[in-house]
Amino acid sequence: MKRGLLTALLLLCAMGSHAAERITIGMQLEPPILDPTASPAAAISEILYGNVFEGLVLFAADGSVLPKLASSWDISDDGLTYTFHLERGVRFHDGSAFDAAVVKYSLDRARAPVSVNPQKSRLAKIRAVDIVDPYTVRVLLNQRSGGLLQSLAWGAFVMVSPQSAETNAVRPIGTGPFRFSEWRRGDSVTLVRNTDYWGRPVELAEVAFKFIADPTAAYAALMAGDVDAFSNYPAPESFPQFAADPRFAVFAGTTEMETVLALNHRVPPLGNLLVRRAISYALDRRAIIDGAMYGYGTPIGSHFPPRNPAYVDLTGVYPHDVAKAKALLATAGYAHGFSVTLKLPPPSYARRGGEIVAAELAQIGIRVAIENLEWAQWLDQVFTRHDFDMSIVGHAEPMDYDIYARDDYYFGYSSPEFKALIAALDDTNDAARRRELLQQIQRKLAADAVNGFLFQYPRLDIWNAHLQGLEFDNVLGIVDLKRAHYDRVAGDGHGIRANRAVDRSVGTNFGIGTNHGAGTEGRARPRALRFAGGALSAAALVLCIFVARRFGGAYLAGRVGVLVATLLVATAIVFVIVQVVPGDPVRYMMGLQADPDAVAATRHQLGLDIAPTQRYFRWLGGLLRGDFGRSFTYRIPVGELIADRLQVSLPLAVLALLLSAAIALPIGFIAAARRGRAGDLVLSFVTQLGLAIPNFWLGILLVMVFAVGLHWVSAGGFPGWDAGLAAGLEALTLPAIALAMPQAAILARVLRGALIDTLHEDYIRTARAKGAGEWQVLWRHALPNALVPVLTIVGMQFSFLLAGGVIIENVFFLPGLGRLVFQAIVQRDLIVVQSVVVMLVFAVVTVTFLVDLSYVLANPRLRDPSAV
Amino acid sequence: MSVFGTRNGSGTRRAALIVGAGITCSFVGIAMIAEFWTPYDPAVLSIIDRLQAPNLHHWLGTDQLGRDVLSMIMAGAKNSVGVALLSVIIGGFIGVPLGLLAAARRGAIDELIMRGNDLVFAFPSLLLAILITAVFGPGAVNAIIAIGIFNIPVFARVARGGALQLWTRDYTLAARVAGKGSMRISFEHVLPNLVGLLAVQGTIQFSLGVIAEAGLSYVGLGAQPPTPSWGRMLNEAQTLTALAPTLALFPGLAVLLFVLGLNLLGDGLQHRRGRTE
Repeated sequence: MKRGLLTALLLLCAMGSHAAERITIGMQLEPPILDPTASPAAAISEILYGNVFEGLVLFAADGSVLPKLASSWDISDDGLTYTFHLERGVRFHDGSAFDAAVVKYSLDRARAPVSVNPQKSRLAKIRAVDIVDPYTVRVLLNQRSGGLLQSLAWGAFVMVSPQSAETNAVRPIGTGPFRFSEWRRGDSVTLVRNTDYWGRPVELAEVAFKFIADPTAAYAALMAGDVDAFSNYPAPESFPQFAADPRFAVFAGTTEMETVLALNHRVPPLGNLLVRRAISYALDRRAIIDGAMYGYGTPIGSHFPPRNPAYVDLTGVYPHDVAKAKALLATAGYAHGFSVTLKLPPPSYARRGGEIVAAELAQIGIRVAIENLEWAQWLDQVFTRHDFDMSIVGHAEPMDYDIYARDDYYFGYSSPEFKALIAALDDTNDAARRRELLQQIQRKLAADAVNGFLFQYPRLDIWNAHLQGLEFDNVLGIVDLKRAHYDRVAGDGHGIRANRAVDRSVGTNFGIGTNHGAGTEGRARPRALRFAGGALSAAALVLCIFVARRFGGAYLAGRVGVLVATLLVATAIVFVIVQVVPGDPVRYMMGLQADPDAVAATRHQLGLDIAPTQRYFRWLGGLLRGDFGRSFTYRIPVGELIADRLQVSLPLAVLALLLSAAIALPIGFIAAARRGRAGDLVLSFVTQLGLAIPNFWLGILLVMVFAVGLHWVSAGGFPGWDAGLAAGLEALTLPAIALAMPQAAILARVLRGALIDTLHEDYIRTARAKGAGEWQVLWRHALPNALVPVLTIVGMQFSFLLAGGVIIENVFFLPGLGRLVFQAIVQRDLIVVQSVVVMLVFAVVTVTFLVDLSYVLANPRLRDPSAV
Repeated sequence: MSVFGTRNGSGTRRAALIVGAGITCSFVGIAMIAEFWTPYDPAVLSIIDRLQAPNLHHWLGTDQLGRDVLSMIMAGAKNSVGVALLSVIIGGFIGVPLGLLAAARRGAIDELIMRGNDLVFAFPSLLLAILITAVFGPGAVNAIIAIGIFNIPVFARVARGGALQLWTRDYTLAARVAGKGSMRISFEHVLPNLVGLLAVQGTIQFSLGVIAEAGLSYVGLGAQPPTPSWGRMLNEAQTLTALAPTLALFPGLAVLLFVLGLNLLGDGLQHRRGRTE
């Protein structure tokens, strides 16, 4: 008893110390709904299976079946009765109990005539599901079904509670170790730990799945630490780079997805076996894998995954042989080829693969017209209406060879022999017999050249090297989080501090991008911003008082009036531009299938349902109070977002400015001193080069040399200031250099010109007359006077650097202000866009105003602009 | 007296002018040739030939889809020259009349135009260009507009400054005595004398336009595929730096060389003007 209490306490402590563990996992596709029993989208299971929902049984890595909610089962000798013994004490996330009635409900619901279950046909042989006692269920079959246990391991047959089944599409409720927390459409799905889980408790407190469709953005997100892991990484070309980077761990495996060149047997030339064989001979699988997948992927000769024990390698049936392909085409009566369309869905394997396949088929005289489709179009035209000749698509479901036995399936293959094989397979539980039949199935598909079998899709996963226990290698392609956790920060033994460090490093990893949910953390940041703002206004006030005392209040009021008018017009312009941006932010957030009421509610919640003019004044009023509004996407104050990003952008701008000045001052000075001579001309050429070099290209070159080549610094990303000043500065050094170079060139030229200009002045002549040397004249007399234009340029450059980092931030994947705006534009987060732009305009206008005022103070002749 | 008129400076500057004009003309020439001929079709893929290092067949190598990099750079020059030139023309055609108007009328109109100028200058140019391309969609035409807008205040300011000086000259006074209106004088007498000044500014804006276009297409907001553009080539090369470093080299060198040529040309023109006046 006592011991039990102690264990519980320890457990509690252990859980407490993990309380803040939160990770973000990147994924390419967003699920359309969150109910795996109602939609075939693989993304649903990828997120929810095993994490939120659980089935009676579970696939092992080799395709065999393990117990899950059913702790054991018996199969009658005739193979017609399956008796499942259920786990006890299991509860759904809403508190309802899991028992035999739930199993009966779930299976009956899936196989009911009105069921929309995508795998419904797999349960067709079930006659009845009987409740024996609360923890025993008997499944009775009409005839034997050798694949029944495998089928029950599918995501489509997870256990659902009668209370929540109808709302699972938007609020999934299961028995798993994580419970659903939030779905931010277009952005992420968040799961939190189920503290009442019946099995082994998980270590992570919160997991966000973030949807990043663009392969380059996926690369950037990993590099910038916006995500801790990426499931099914979509850019194979950069995979080796991550594999070589010690900050990341990678996994290159295989999936159950056969990528095929689907042929529509209903259209004349493709219904001809000889033509299909010719096409198979024309395909060079190696070239396709190299070109479309950068070498990742396993060639296949039939529709079957190579890692399955029953696999037969049939890639030799149709070796790449153009002559043979042409001969077959001629025999079939198409000596001069024919024309077809190739309709491609969006993934890069299809788009890139399509271009290569088209080129290969052209060699044997088949003229291919490529049509790129969106997924919705593809599903409609190709999959549903069979309106296509060829397509390239991956079939992700495990053990899905039976699709070739369906007459109405999209490629329209119909073979009695093949159907007989499938029927025989389903009629036996004998392992050896099943294996033999599976091999016959593969051979039959290859012999009939049903489709162009291209390659088994690779499974590429990348995650933070500190993240342990993340499991990707499984038959269903799900992200298994049951054992995932962050290792303790290496070498940090400061008790509580270490705990906090873990908390931060988990939330922010190496970027500040992901931790927006942490409300209390966010409070401290605007303070820094407010402090900076306060200092600026104090300086402005002092300056204004000086000016007012010297030139009178009216003069100052005029200048301030112009300033305010400029700012007002600027806010109006930005607001109008942003209003014109096409794309409804609410639609973007909620998706196309969104319920109209929900759309209206969100629109109201975001304040988008009022008239634009009213919205403008509301926003303006907020700005005056320092309230930038609330981000549509992140649902947190924009001020906090901006302050967050300024932690990167501000130090970067300052660093770049200092570097630029440090480089420009000596160059400008020497050039002025040696004006007209060789030294000046050489420096002039150098500054010309500096002006001509695009800063982002310089950034790329710096990465190539110092990160990829010499491994001195990382290729990009930002570790956060929590990782230490040195680490932060290290991450900003290369970007600062890239930003500073062109600015330094400008500054050096301005300084040279300004120095030379002052040389005409009387006081210089006086100094010379007194016998001062050239360098002394420049240093003591010319430089102080030349500093005015130089400081103007510096002031203007600062605001440029603050905003101009957009591209550089993209090169180095820094989570700065520029990238915030960029993401906000893509996500239609209008309020963020208009606030950041206005803030930058405000910075530029204010700096210019202050510089102008200090001029006037320094040189009262400037008061009347016409006197200049 | 010119501060550059000493020693060998003058000769070197003339050489720089010639070199600059040479480079500029070469790039414009390449852009024009690319309209009719490139060594390979920059749109044709050849996977077997992908990621080749520079060799005899492909002087600058091939990219990730086996396209000839030299051909793509030539076609990219077309895009670069086109976008930058058109954005200069937009800026000039709107900005110069505004500047002339401001100088001719002075007073409230001048103040309004110059304040408007300040306003545009106050916007972070790149951010606004991104915003514009986000509003109207990415593409070469919108890149031209986005860059062109920022050329307007530049030309307005330069034209106004130059015109203000010319308005003090005798010939404008004579024209005024002859009863010509201020805008007529602006176009008949002031503008012809500003051509040199505007040409210098145009060259500078041209070079800035080349860099801006590369930047916009680098972030995916410039010309869309399959139109080759230097910026997008750099973007696509970035994840391949470990495999094919030259892919990230040549498009950048093209930008660098072209901009350098334009700057040298602009500088040289400016000094010639300085000498003749």
